[in-house]
Amino acid sequence: MRPSFFHHLHPPTIPAKQSRWRYTLGAGGTAVFLMLVLGATGILELFYYVPTPDQAAQSIQTISYLVPFGGLVRNIHFWAAQLLLIVAAVHLVRVVFTGSYAPPRRFNYLLGLALFVFAILLDFTGYILRWDEGIQWALVVGTNLIKTIPLIGNAFYVVLTGGTQPGLPTLIRFYAWHIFGLALIVIILGVWHAFRVRRDGGIAVPPPPLRVDKERITRNELVRREVLAMLLTGAALILFAAFVPAPIAQPISDITIMAGDARAPWFFLWVQQMLKWGDPFILGVLVPLIVLAVLALIPYIFPKPADGELGKWFPRSNRLAQIVLAVIALLVIILTIFGSLPAS
Amino acid sequence: MSDLTRRDFLKLTTTALLTISGALGVGALFRFLDFQTEPPVKTEFDLGPAVNYPIGSRSLVPDVPALLIHNQNGFSALSLVCTHLGCTVEQKDSGFECPCHGSRYDANGKVLRGPAQKALRALRVEVNSTGNLILHTD
Ligand code: HEM
Ligand code: FES
Repeated sequence: MRPSFFHHLHPPTIPAKQSRWRYTLGAGGTAVFLMLVLGATGILELFYYVPTPDQAAQSIQTISYLVPFGGLVRNIHFWAAQLLLIVAAVHLVRVVFTGSYAPPRRFNYLLGLALFVFAILLDFTGYILRWDEGIQWALVVGTNLIKTIPLIGNAFYVVLTGGTQPGLPTLIRFYAWHIFGLALIVIILGVWHAFRVRRDGGIAVPPPPLRVDKERITRNELVRREVLAMLLTGAALILFAAFVPAPIAQPISDITIMAGDARAPWFFLWVQQMLKWGDPFILGVLVPLIVLAVLALIPYIFPKPADGELGKWFPRSNRLAQIVLAVIALLVIILTIFGSLPAS
Repeated sequence: MSDLTRRDFLKLTTTALLTISGALGVGALFRFLDFQTEPPVKTEFDLGPAVNYPIGSRSLVPDVPALLIHNQNGFSALSLVCTHLGCTVEQKDSGFECPCHGSRYDANGKVLRGPAQKALRALRVEVNSTGNLILHTD
């Protein structure tokens, strides 16, 4: 048989220890599965969704309440998107806490980080597509933050929104990015990321002489586990989506002066919380970029984990990187909790 | 000239050309996306006959959004757009509060509590020849 991309990603055997759930958490694979689910449900939504300010919210109501299984499709799309962010974050934490970003995997770590950022952008643009009272302040605040960037802020704002305030061109642009631009970038980065995993020698393990546990599993066993994970995730997703609806609100109308939730989408609550403290450019743009830069630099500034310590959790030789990530994660979680509390 | 420097020269030229084309492409893309299809935002709002707003009245004008005030000193108006990041403020205990990050303003629009730094904008109001109130947002 000719080797295919599938075989490229599934070598005949792989080390047993590093293919256990408790080692990988199955997070990378689950993220791939969720992206496929998002693609499929997103394409289905395209048949009913109308990307104009007058009709967007109405068309989502049509999908949610009238189209047979439309509510299920929309809910799966929504929940898969939220789960994707969580799973991708877990995957990132796993990679850092196991020191698997060490050379030769530095570049692939950056690819993965870029995928995470684009998943956030996809989630935000998708959220805006609702164009109802639930999203308007997130849109206003999010785009006005761009304006606070010195020198290029105003021009960049127009490029992003297509005008001097949110309107029809803004929705069209977010729509184009969501269903095509960002989706395409994620597909390219995703395939590249998967390809690099194998090129870099699969999941990180100690070099053969230092390997204690020499047991291996076969390609079939790996596929069996992957299918099991997909089935479980898929079933959980369908069940959850069947009972917990995605948020929805009144269409935006000019009559109500202040309507809807002023809260950011959950993954930006930490930024919203910081914005309460002062300068919007520093706290809303610079600090998140610095966090991103620190994450990107982890493989470059911290000592490489010892070869013998690869392929296990919390190698002693990269404690510092683990601590840095843990502190960042903790701060983001604490800020998110504060941000989700009702206004004082 | 040795072979190597000649190769280096070609490589350098290629890199330079690619960089320049790339930069031009990005610039063109930026200009392409910078175009605005919508007419400029309205800056003048006709609020109807001035007599509809008696002395002592404070009226919301939702589509601006603004608060129109008529007192002994005449007409005045306050923009209700929060000066922090643009949410619409709500009226609260004689002043205003922003739901997005909690800025507070007093009844005249002065900042009582951050993160907003600037007072709510005062907007220009005039009565035109037909007796209608015109609100300007520019
Ligand atoms: C990683 C990939 C993706 C993520 C994270 C994502 C995320 C989201 C989110 C959070 C929403 C708002 C859902 C809601 O509130 O109901 C949304 C809506 C939407 N998405 Fe996606 N999406 C992804 C891929 C796609 C793709 C590939 C398509 C189509 C080709 C698509 C089409 C749509 C459409 C039409 C809507 C509007 C309908 C609605 O809001 O329910 N999405 N997306
Ligand atoms: S937009 Fe009003 S406090 Fe931030």
